[in-house]
Amino acid sequence: MSKADRKPYMNAVLILTLVIILLPVLIMIVWSFTARWPWPNIMPESWTTRTITELLYGSNDLVSILGSSVLLAVIVAVLGTVIGLMTARATEIYRIRGRRVVSYVALLPLIVPSTVFAMGFQVTLIRMGLNDTMTGVVISHLVAALPYCVTIMMDVTASVGDRLELQAQVLGASPARSFFDVSLPELLPGILSSASMAFIISYGQYFTTLLAGGGKIKTLALVMVPYIQEGDRALSSIYAVVFVGSALVVFFVIELMMHRAMKGER
Amino acid sequence: MKKLLVILLSLVMTFSLCACGSKTETTAQADPCEGMTWDEIVEAARGTTVSFYGWGGDEQRNAWLEDFYVPYMKDKYDITLKVVGMDINDILSKLSSEKEAGEDENGSIDMIWINGENFYSCKENGMLYGPFTDKLPNMSEYVDTEAYENNYDFGKPIEGYEAPYSSAKMVMYADTAKTGDALPTNADEFMEFCKANKGKVTYPEVTDFTGSTFMRQLIYETCGSDVWEGVEADKDAVQEAMQPAIDYMVELNQYLWQQGKQFPADRGAMDTMFANGELVMGMTYEALQVGTEIEKGNIPKTVKSFEFADGMIANTNYMAIAYNSPNKAGALVAINAMMSPEMQLSSYEEYKHLTILDLNKLDDKTRDAFNAVDAGEGNLTLDQIGTNRLPETPADIVPIAEEVWRECVVGK
Repeated sequence: MSKADRKPYMNAVLILTLVIILLPVLIMIVWSFTARWPWPNIMPESWTTRTITELLYGSNDLVSILGSSVLLAVIVAVLGTVIGLMTARATEIYRIRGRRVVSYVALLPLIVPSTVFAMGFQVTLIRMGLNDTMTGVVISHLVAALPYCVTIMMDVTASVGDRLELQAQVLGASPARSFFDVSLPELLPGILSSASMAFIISYGQYFTTLLAGGGKIKTLALVMVPYIQEGDRALSSIYAVVFVGSALVVFFVIELMMHRAMKGER
Repeated sequence: MKKLLVILLSLVMTFSLCACGSKTETTAQADPCEGMTWDEIVEAARGTTVSFYGWGGDEQRNAWLEDFYVPYMKDKYDITLKVVGMDINDILSKLSSEKEAGEDENGSIDMIWINGENFYSCKENGMLYGPFTDKLPNMSEYVDTEAYENNYDFGKPIEGYEAPYSSAKMVMYADTAKTGDALPTNADEFMEFCKANKGKVTYPEVTDFTGSTFMRQLIYETCGSDVWEGVEADKDAVQEAMQPAIDYMVELNQYLWQQGKQFPADRGAMDTMFANGELVMGMTYEALQVGTEIEKGNIPKTVKSFEFADGMIANTNYMAIAYNSPNKAGALVAINAMMSPEMQLSSYEEYKHLTILDLNKLDDKTRDAFNAVDAGEGNLTLDQIGTNRLPETPADIVPIAEEVWRECVVGK
């Protein structure tokens, strides 16, 4: 759609949506440096820099926590999307027996309350010797992310289908080549949303990380949530800003890489 | 062919999971530190790692642990201390999961920050290691082992299963710029105070620790602090004993925020409302909190701490060792170090945690250093905090009293 045929009301909706999304983030930025902001003042009464000091030089090493959170979430995003894609192809294209069961089972973790689920899961992890390890945390996050990945990938796989891929094979391409060169580019938008979804789910997990990681695998959410529970608004806000900001940066990078990849394909 | 392979693969995976699931119950292990002298324990702990689990929502405590306690343990005992911030409920669910899974020797928790109901239920369920406090040199050297608070936690005998960490006392605080300087000293005056500041006073819901303590404080105020003597942990008995308090709290409701139909979910929510100016009064279990909050600039300098004349509930935080801790020697050394005069003084100076040491047992220099610490603006004096302390409610009565509150007080 070019700029010319965009309807004026579309712009209005777009701007309104942006304001609704960005305004709370802006307020959080203000709160990050607010010492006191009593009602009904329009601006904070006094400011503080203790939050930025705590964030940068405090008891937690921000860089390593950010690093491990992003790494963990990226692993979950990649694995979740690959598993989601494979499941989707199995049910949508190869039409295995019991494909409906598979698609329902994939949604189960959404139906069972996550606290109940996490506690039983923890017992299993301990028996397998995977508690308090990165692997255990990755598995527990995957379980939380898979329902979304599988559903998204099933939808796009169903709409893309395999006819073009078969066409390529008829023309002599190998199955692998016909998948990577023909179907994959078509699937890319779905892969992007599945990966983003899995990323943000993993990035925001608190309870599962706590139980599976035993508090020893530290993520941003794990450090941030106690401050929110404690009601320390300034510190909660600055962590929330870092949380949202870092997630946005990662999304931007994923988007950029996908863009490059698609350009390369064409 | 492909289908068959898929089915086979999934079967294999299911079975491998089941195989991991079965593990035989192990019997309770012997005490690894049995018969060892203290020097041998310290030697055994050298070069090991200790995981210390406790609440992580207090930035000052976190900072103190990382800046003072962790390096102290490294330098003095060559112990790597890993501080893990976790809510006590999550810590206990983790511990009980490990027990359920039969992980009786290589648990992930060594040292736990604990007290009250949680200690009682853990000890009853065999999730703690002990008795161990008789092994700690600093316990007999610097702590008043005869004192009630070092023998009973929420009315339940400690029996050597936890060692004191820091001391706490409930205080109330109000912004005197809004309320005037006359602050209530008993239940009747408190009622008048709420009437005068209608809709601007409340206390957290009793699921919250602070809210529950304040409710117990009001029970003491209206029924006397010996209210629980001889009362069984039975709902009818508890309700009967606290009936005057129920009547009082129901009457109080009309003057509270939202007419007592709703209460803030937790202390954090109440603190936020106080900082916003929606409330003129609050309460805390950290007796020196007002001073540190003023210092941070979160609340105005006109906020003052106050207490009821008949005394306020006080208690002690403790440290315990998990029954399946893989490093009990290390945990013992770490707990002993936390009770040393150096660490107690440092935590008192740096983040205003009240000490559990008996000042009379310290040498003059250390005692003077303790006395020289400024209590901070808006706080009660240390003498006031040290005296006028009421004992906690017995641990098994606490949840029952909370239940009665939910049924008979909220929205009534």
